[in-house]
Amino acid sequence: MTTVIPFGPQHPVLPEPVSLKLEIDNDVVVGALPSLGYVHRGLEKFIDTKDYNQTTYICERICGICSALHGITYTMAVEKLFDVEIPERAQYIRVIIGELNRVHSHLLWLGLFADGFGFESLFYECWKYRETVLDVLERITGNRVIHSISKVGGASKDLTKEHIDLILKMCDTVEPQVKDLEKVFVNNYSVKQRLVGLATMSKQLAYEAGTAGPTLRGSGNSIDLRESADWDIYKDLGFKPAVEKDGDCYARTKVRITELYDSFKLLRNAISKMPNGEITTPIKGFPTGEAIMRTEQPRGEVVYYVKGKGTKNLERLKIRTPTFANIPSLLLTLPGIKLADVPIVVLTIDPCISCTER
Amino acid sequence: MGMLNLVLTNISRKPATRLYPFEIRAPYAEFKGKIVFNPENCILCGICQKKCPPDAIKVTKDEKKWELNVFRCIMCTECVTSCPKDCIIISNERAKTGAKEYIKILVPKVDTPKAAPPK
Repeated sequence: MTTVIPFGPQHPVLPEPVSLKLEIDNDVVVGALPSLGYVHRGLEKFIDTKDYNQTTYICERICGICSALHGITYTMAVEKLFDVEIPERAQYIRVIIGELNRVHSHLLWLGLFADGFGFESLFYECWKYRETVLDVLERITGNRVIHSISKVGGASKDLTKEHIDLILKMCDTVEPQVKDLEKVFVNNYSVKQRLVGLATMSKQLAYEAGTAGPTLRGSGNSIDLRESADWDIYKDLGFKPAVEKDGDCYARTKVRITELYDSFKLLRNAISKMPNGEITTPIKGFPTGEAIMRTEQPRGEVVYYVKGKGTKNLERLKIRTPTFANIPSLLLTLPGIKLADVPIVVLTIDPCISCTER
Repeated sequence: MGMLNLVLTNISRKPATRLYPFEIRAPYAEFKGKIVFNPENCILCGICQKKCPPDAIKVTKDEKKWELNVFRCIMCTECVTSCPKDCIIISNERAKTGAKEYIKILVPKVDTPKAAPPK
């Protein structure tokens, strides 16, 4: 006989209102049903009252962790409508802030994940190291969380020489610290006992379930939007996606740790190749037509659809966030898992419910 | 041995956190702390009100009043960059919690607009 128990929306392990109805048979999950909508804020409709420049600020407030990349994706989508090429320096600034965002997001996730399996001191270590990254972001953009670096037509702030030195110094300090963290996450006996072989997803299943980001790459699919033609600046930076074959929770953790190293490499490359010059292009008129833009966020692929009708505000804005794409995979992998492991499996897709419900 | 080292260094090391209310970190120069309005050069053009994404600024020409709703302001600095007379600046001083909701500033009567002071 099965019992249905509610998991969330308030759960001690999860920071966000993930809500699942778990069907349980003797401590083992046999089925799961998600329910979304606890933090719906109506942000997509809210753009009706704001012009397309002001919408950047709304998009940044969709998520508190990957805020910069939401703003960047939106501005890139609107630039597609105007069909303008923004200065190269502005593109590099976007890459740098985006990668800093990814570093702090992955460190945050590693901490939450450690907290998920009860490793409190590791959680504090991860968040201590993340603080260095946030300090750099605050010094560059003026804010810790909402960076507002990207605006339609370029970047809103230029990087000075001190900022660049700060970023390089941060890379040099945080990279060895991540190496220390990697030792624990990858080699520690207890951590491995908890993660290896848990919630395994085959390459085919991960692809067919439409997963995104580290969940997809943890199962051996080498798909990363930073490689695609949509965001071609990454081609010059020598980027290769981090891929693991096993498809379990351990592989997904390893993908995120490898992505941290990749981000440091990309930051250094971007800084060394950043040209001088203008950071904005003047934009005239109002947006017309339709455009789709995809970028790679820390959690995976985000899709922005924008439609303009020649007025100052957009007619439609539609966002597909990575967590929305990853929830089906969660429902496919949860059956057969013990109840005590459910929080860990939920955390490995890095759920961002506020993004998903907007 | 490695663990003993770790224990000994952790005993002698300073804590990683600050003792907050007694020890406050100075804000960075770039920190977006609070909006400061300097009414002397204001020509009541209302561009800041138009550009403000959360509609936090209200400019009333008849009453010569510039109003900022602090609770709505999102520190985007659109008003700072758009002001033609450089009346609005962003200071790196932290805004106090529980401050008044509205800042209302009367703009002195301006007959001929003065030029903005050199930066």
